[in-house]
Amino acid sequence: MNSAAVSPSVALPWADDVQVLADVSQIAREQLAPAAYRIDHEGYYPIDIMAKLGQAGAFAGHLDQYGSRYGLAIESMHEISRHCGSTGFMTWCHDVCGLYMEQSGNPALLARLPDHAAGKTFGGTALSNPMKAFTGIEKMALKAKKVPGGYRVNGTLPWVSHIAPGQYCGVIAAVDREDGSRSHEIMFLLDLDERVTLRKCPEFSGMEGTSTWAVPLVDYFVHEDQMIADPVRPFIQRVRTAFILLQVGMASGVIQGSIDSAREVESSLGHVNQYLHDRPDELQAEFDDIKAQAAKLAETPFDGSKDFLLDVLDLRARGSEMALKASQSALLHQGARGYLMTSAPQRRIREAHFVAIVTPALKHLRWEMAKQMRAEVPA
Amino acid sequence: MSKQSVDQATPWRQYICLACGLIYDEEQGDPDSGLAPGTRFEDIPDDWECPLCGVTKTDFELLERQEITVCDQPMQFNRKPGVVVIGAGIAGWSTVEALRALDSAVPITLVTACTGDTYHKPELSVAISRGADKKTLVRESGYQAAQRLGVQLMSQTFAVGLSPALKQLRTTRGSLNYTQLVLAQGAQPILPAQLPAHLCWRVNDLAGWSGLQQALAQGKQSVAIVGAGMIGCELAEDFARAGHTVTLLDRNNAPLAGLLPGKASSRLVSSFNQLGITYVGGVDVTGVAALDNGKRSITRQVGQPLEVDHVVAATGLATDNRLARHAGLQFERGLTVDPHTLRTSDPDIYALGDCISIDGAPCRFIEPIKHQAQAIAHAVLGLDAVIYEHKPPVIRLKTRAMPVVLHGQPSADGTWKTLLDTPDELVMEQYQGSQKISHLKLGSLGQSRAA
Repeated sequence: MNSAAVSPSVALPWADDVQVLADVSQIAREQLAPAAYRIDHEGYYPIDIMAKLGQAGAFAGHLDQYGSRYGLAIESMHEISRHCGSTGFMTWCHDVCGLYMEQSGNPALLARLPDHAAGKTFGGTALSNPMKAFTGIEKMALKAKKVPGGYRVNGTLPWVSHIAPGQYCGVIAAVDREDGSRSHEIMFLLDLDERVTLRKCPEFSGMEGTSTWAVPLVDYFVHEDQMIADPVRPFIQRVRTAFILLQVGMASGVIQGSIDSAREVESSLGHVNQYLHDRPDELQAEFDDIKAQAAKLAETPFDGSKDFLLDVLDLRARGSEMALKASQSALLHQGARGYLMTSAPQRRIREAHFVAIVTPALKHLRWEMAKQMRAEVPA
Repeated sequence: MSKQSVDQATPWRQYICLACGLIYDEEQGDPDSGLAPGTRFEDIPDDWECPLCGVTKTDFELLERQEITVCDQPMQFNRKPGVVVIGAGIAGWSTVEALRALDSAVPITLVTACTGDTYHKPELSVAISRGADKKTLVRESGYQAAQRLGVQLMSQTFAVGLSPALKQLRTTRGSLNYTQLVLAQGAQPILPAQLPAHLCWRVNDLAGWSGLQQALAQGKQSVAIVGAGMIGCELAEDFARAGHTVTLLDRNNAPLAGLLPGKASSRLVSSFNQLGITYVGGVDVTGVAALDNGKRSITRQVGQPLEVDHVVAATGLATDNRLARHAGLQFERGLTVDPHTLRTSDPDIYALGDCISIDGAPCRFIEPIKHQAQAIAHAVLGLDAVIYEHKPPVIRLKTRAMPVVLHGQPSADGTWKTLLDTPDELVMEQYQGSQKISHLKLGSLGQSRAA
């Protein structure tokens, strides 16, 4: 898997993991961190900074074409999330969109992949609803009908992030038979051209700069060039673990940022902070255990075994639990200064909440793990 | 045995079988073997046998129930996370009982995938012919047992991850920290790909058994059991006695291959035949499919497909290695434990029951569990060591038509010698060189009495 990291090929852009991480980290520190407040509160969509991150290789590592370095992709997302959880989340959206395009094998989408990987074009993912629908939590929002040369799609997705006019996202729609029963589902790259009018979402408690919109589709025609998978279930089966595994970068960045904040005040507040629990050293030890598990799982992101899926779900759940714990602790360590609207600890508490509720949410992870663990018996 | 009359005023007593844990209750008697309700233990004939495992009354002792009640006591403040036990089978509950008997304050959390209801697992392989159902087998609900023992019970909760460096167990209802962890997770049926889970029943816990029991309660049906090991043989007899048509299939030519010499297994087969059980040996099952008529079709390498109402897989057990792998615990066909302390390769993690292996061999019998639980409870609480001495348990097959009792550890390449060979009884010994390694007895006085 890590062949590219071991022996960098000359032709491969962003071949040097260390260089990519150094560049990504620098951009995150110097450009993203100062913009975090505007992103979180004022709805500033940092697409300019994301373009620079793309240029540095932040969105390419996991793709087969760039060496299938999942460890690198997760670490890049970690560095970004450490300074801005919103942009960390958009990095994940962008990364999985690239994953869909590449894994589709559709030449028309593969042709668009280099620009996507380099952050020259942008696209997200709208799989929250279908992921929940597939595991029995809710109903499919989009319906597709076969028409000559493609499909016609109707329905509304309530909120999709990291999209804008001229951008795109991966979506799934259900195809029903004449009698109303489900035939199968399809997946395609939804191009947000003049046929789609994005609708404003209600205000969220944070992460306003993630460019999140409701997407109503009325007789939207999907051309073959946009198709990602038909039927989609085997495709989802294949990419599911990679999809969830990548999210760990978000959690880990929020955790590391929180530990950083707790340490930052150690010299001035250590004499009283010693009475708190979840001290930075304790958190770091727990976090190191999580990072070691993540690094191991990142070596085989497409392992199709049930045990591997459980490991990934467990890791993702750990990430959520620990992000909540670490962000809470960071605010207590910083005290009043962490409670300022402009401070990172209070922002990270909301980012950690997001990590724990974004699909798959902590409760969904536990639901799915229980489902996987339950023995199947004759009906 | 002297037949002293017991004062009528003496309350009804209960006696426990030391071999299998069955409880003889004087008030209820054992009508199946002719002991009317109200039969005092003293009045039981000496040749009466344990209805579950076949030992005689000398192997029973008076059951003095230790009523350990802590829930009325005020909760004692304890900052340590305490002991976490995974699994609420006999091994898990025995550990909890042993801990509570020694310490009323240590916090205990019991994590289990099932409901936590207590029942006596060996009964499952003889319960259908006795007309039992889930309700009659449950001795105490998980909730009641947890209340009585002052345990936090996390039922229908799966353990999914383990980090010993953090002393952290992760479950489907959140993470727990532990001071010590006891793994009593049991073993799971092995299902080869030819036997799909949604078409084949497994009898390894109350829930799995109960589904099959409910299906069989609907009337006389045909059942194929794949695998003629101990469980397969016991279930075959149980289902046949309940009036079902049973076919027992095995890859080997004879049942209990590896344990019994040919002479013994052919007696077992003829006792099966007398009960109407068809034994089909030397068969490789290639698949099971659902038919439109609701039946199952079993295909095999040679011969016609077999059409039955139900398929039961009795193809052996294996310990899930998921937690061991996470935690880097030594594992060889089961969690490797110290044979005296039951400690795993991690100093704060213990294991007992079906999930362990001692010297590379799993040991899946009831009898040793209470001793293992004692050793663990003493170690966990830091008391004077109680050393567990591992002995190969006596194997008793609960096939009432042809009871099998096997001492020692038979080997595939040993030499069998016949000591007694009468129509009622067969006694054999196995030698490796000049050393006797096992002793086998088929049939019994009980059988001749019944005949």
